[in-house]
Amino acid sequence: MSEPRDPEMMRRREILRRSAWLLGGAVSAPAALAFLQGCSRQEPGSNKAAWVPQYLQAKEVAIVTAIADIMIPKTDTSGALDADVPAFIDTALLALYPQPDRDRFRVGVAAFADLAKAQGAGKPFLEQEPQARVAFVRQTLETALAAKTDPKPFILTVRELTLLGYLSSRVGITENMEYVPVPTAFHGCVPLSQMKKHVYWE
Amino acid sequence: MDSNSFDAIVVGTGMSGGWAAKELTEKGLKTLVLDRGRMVKHGEYPTANTDPWDLPYGNRITLETRQRKPVQSRTSYPTPAAQHWFVDDLENPYTEVNRFDWIRGYHVGGRSLMWARQSYRFSPMDFEANAKEGVGVPWPVSYDEIAPWYDYVETFAGISGSPEGIPTLPDGKFLPPMELNCVEIDFQKRISEKLGRKLIIGRVANLSAPLTHKESPQRGTCQYRNLCIRGCPFGGYFSSVSATLPSAERTGNMTLRANKIAYEIIYDNDKGRATGVRVLDAESGAQTDYFAKVIFLCASTLGSAFIMLNSTSSRFPNGFGNDSGELGHNLVDHLKAAGVTATADGYLDVAYTGRRANGYYIPRYRNVGNDKRSYLRGFGYQGRASRSGFGRFNDNALIGEELKQAIKEPGPWTVNASSFGEILPNHLNHATIDRSRKDKYGLPVLKFDVQLRENERAMQREMVSDAVEMFEAAGYKDIKVAKEDYAPGLSIHEAGAARMGKDPKTSVLNKFNQVHACKNVFVTDGSFMTSSACQNPSLTYMAFTARAADHAVNELKKGNL
Repeated sequence: MSEPRDPEMMRRREILRRSAWLLGGAVSAPAALAFLQGCSRQEPGSNKAAWVPQYLQAKEVAIVTAIADIMIPKTDTSGALDADVPAFIDTALLALYPQPDRDRFRVGVAAFADLAKAQGAGKPFLEQEPQARVAFVRQTLETALAAKTDPKPFILTVRELTLLGYLSSRVGITENMEYVPVPTAFHGCVPLSQMKKHVYWE
Repeated sequence: MDSNSFDAIVVGTGMSGGWAAKELTEKGLKTLVLDRGRMVKHGEYPTANTDPWDLPYGNRITLETRQRKPVQSRTSYPTPAAQHWFVDDLENPYTEVNRFDWIRGYHVGGRSLMWARQSYRFSPMDFEANAKEGVGVPWPVSYDEIAPWYDYVETFAGISGSPEGIPTLPDGKFLPPMELNCVEIDFQKRISEKLGRKLIIGRVANLSAPLTHKESPQRGTCQYRNLCIRGCPFGGYFSSVSATLPSAERTGNMTLRANKIAYEIIYDNDKGRATGVRVLDAESGAQTDYFAKVIFLCASTLGSAFIMLNSTSSRFPNGFGNDSGELGHNLVDHLKAAGVTATADGYLDVAYTGRRANGYYIPRYRNVGNDKRSYLRGFGYQGRASRSGFGRFNDNALIGEELKQAIKEPGPWTVNASSFGEILPNHLNHATIDRSRKDKYGLPVLKFDVQLRENERAMQREMVSDAVEMFEAAGYKDIKVAKEDYAPGLSIHEAGAARMGKDPKTSVLNKFNQVHACKNVFVTDGSFMTSSACQNPSLTYMAFTARAADHAVNELKKGNL
C-alpha cells in the first residue's frame, strides 16, 4: 500500500470515513480493506522505463508516438504521452486485436509514413516541421472520416486507441474531469454552473 | 444422521438457491447448499474498487477472453473488470442446433452477482394470458396467490421504485424511487402527451434508503458508483452473496459446499421418492452421494433441466419427473430487438451527479386494454438519457487543443431504448442431452434447438418501429437503429424447461413447484415458468422460491413428504 501522505490515499480514507458515517458505520472490514487496496497500484508513468515494445517496431513506435502527441498534446492538462499512450497502444494491439487487424495496423503505419514523405517532398514525417505534421494528421483524419471505409483506416484506429488509452488513464481522467469514486448520491438535474468540472460518468 | 444426510438439499446458490437456503434454514431445516463453482463470500469482489486506470486495456474484452469464453463474449459483459464471473466456454461446452446464447456464472451467488437488478412484478394479465389465449398451459397460480410473496421478498431484498397504480405492472413494497434526469422527465411528458404512454423510473434492487428491517446488517445503501456487476462491497444491491446466504449462515443450519457439481437425482423406486443427489467434486473428481428428505433444484433453468434430463431410472426413463414429455421443452427467453438511440436538443446547461445504476422503464402497452395487434402479448422498454461519453470523439476530426477542450465538456444528450418482449412458450423450442459430447468433468452436454417464430418476428419489428415513433414524437434527432444481433438466450432470461401446470400430463411441476411425480423435489429457478411475460424475471423467481420453501416445510411437518 502507498504512503499515507499520498493524496489519493488520503482521499480514499476520507471517502471511506464519510461512507461509513453515511451507512451508520456499516462498512464491513473486507469492504474497507478492498477499498484501500485500490491505491496499491502503480502511478502513471511508473512503468515507462520498464516498457519494451512487444508488438510495434521502434520505427512504428516513433510514428504512433508522434500521432498520439498531435491528437492529444500536453496543454494545461497532461497529454497522451504523459499517459503512456504509445505503450498502451502496443500492448492493446496484442491483447485486443486479432492478427489480421494487427497486420493491417502495421501496414497502415507504413502507408501513413510513405504518404507523408511523398507529400513532404521526400522529407520523412518525423523530420517535418511540427505544423506540417499536424496538417498532415488532420488531412489524413478528414479524408478517412469522409471515406467511411470498413474496416476502419489506420488513422481512425490509432485515434480510437489514443483516446481509449488517454481517457482510461489516471491523468486523462482526473485532470480533465471530476472523478468521484464513491458519489454516494444521484441528482438528476444539476446546473453545470454548480459543478466544479465535467463529471466522470463512464 | 450421518455426515452426508440432511433435512434438505439446495442445488445452486443463485437468485433462487439463495432464497431456498435462507427460507429452509430459517424454518429450522439442516440444509446442505451446493454450488458447482468456487466460493465467493460477501466482500470478496476482486475488482469492486479498481479505478478505471487500474483496469488493463481500457477495460475492453480481450482476445484471450474471446478465445476462452466465446459464448460469454457474445454479450458486452466479460470485460477485464467482470470476466471472472463468466464461465470458460471451452470447459463447459454445449451444442447449438440453432444459435443459443447460454450466459453463465459458475460460482457461489451465480448470476445474482451480475444481474441487472431490474425488479418488476408480473400482473394478473400475465398469469391469465395462457388460459385466455389457449397458449401453452394455464398458470396454476393466480396473481393474488403470489402477491403476498412478492411483498415478502421485496421487503427483504429492498426494491427501489415509485408506486404508479398501473394495473399491468402492480406496485410493490418500495424503497424511495431514484430520480429521473431532466431529459428523461421531458421525454416522459412528451410521450405521455403525444402517445399516451407511461414512462417511470426503473424498479431496481439497489438500496436507495436503508432497509426497513434489521436482518441484513452487512448491507449498506447504494453509493451510486454503477459498478454493480463487479460485486458491491457496500452490499448496495441484492445478491445471494450479500443478502440471502448471510441470513442462512446466521441460522447455523446451513452447510455450504462450493465446487460440488450435482448431476443426478437419486430416486428410490420402492419408496417412490427422491433420496438425494449425486455429486462430483469439481477439483478432485470424487463422486459423493448426499441424502435429504427434501430437495430444491435451483441450478438455473438449464442447469436444473440438465440434472433432471440426466437422471434416468426405470420409473423415469426419459428424465426425472418427465411423465408429460415436457421436460426441457417450452424454453423461452426475453425477446430483444435492435436498440434505438437518438440525440435530444437542449438541456445543455444541466447534467447529473452520481452514477445511477438504473434507467427508465416504459411498461407494456401493446395488447393492453383496447389495443389489439397482429401478434400476441407485448414488450416493455428500458433505457436512459445521458450526456454522451467519450465514444463521440472516435468519429470526429477534432485534434490537439480543440479535442482537449471538448474532452473537458459533457457531450450532447443522447437517449436510448431497448426492449424485452415476451416469447410464446412452444413445445418445439427445447433442450435435450447430447451424449456424443462431454464437458471437462466427463458429463454429457446440453443441446439446444430454440427458434424465434412468427409471433416473435412480428413483435420484434414493432419493438423497433415503436421506439423510433417515440423518439420522433419527442422531437429527437439523429435517430439510429443498431444492428440486430439477438439470438435466444442473449437476454439471459432463459426459462420454462420444467413448466408448472395443473395437469401432470402436460406439465412437470405443480403450483407449489413440486415435481408432479415426486413430491419431495421442488424446482424453483426459471424452469418453472409457464410463460415469461415481458418483465425481468428474478423477482418472480424469488417470490415462488420463498412460497415453495414455506410449502415444503409445512408438508414436512404434516408428514406428507
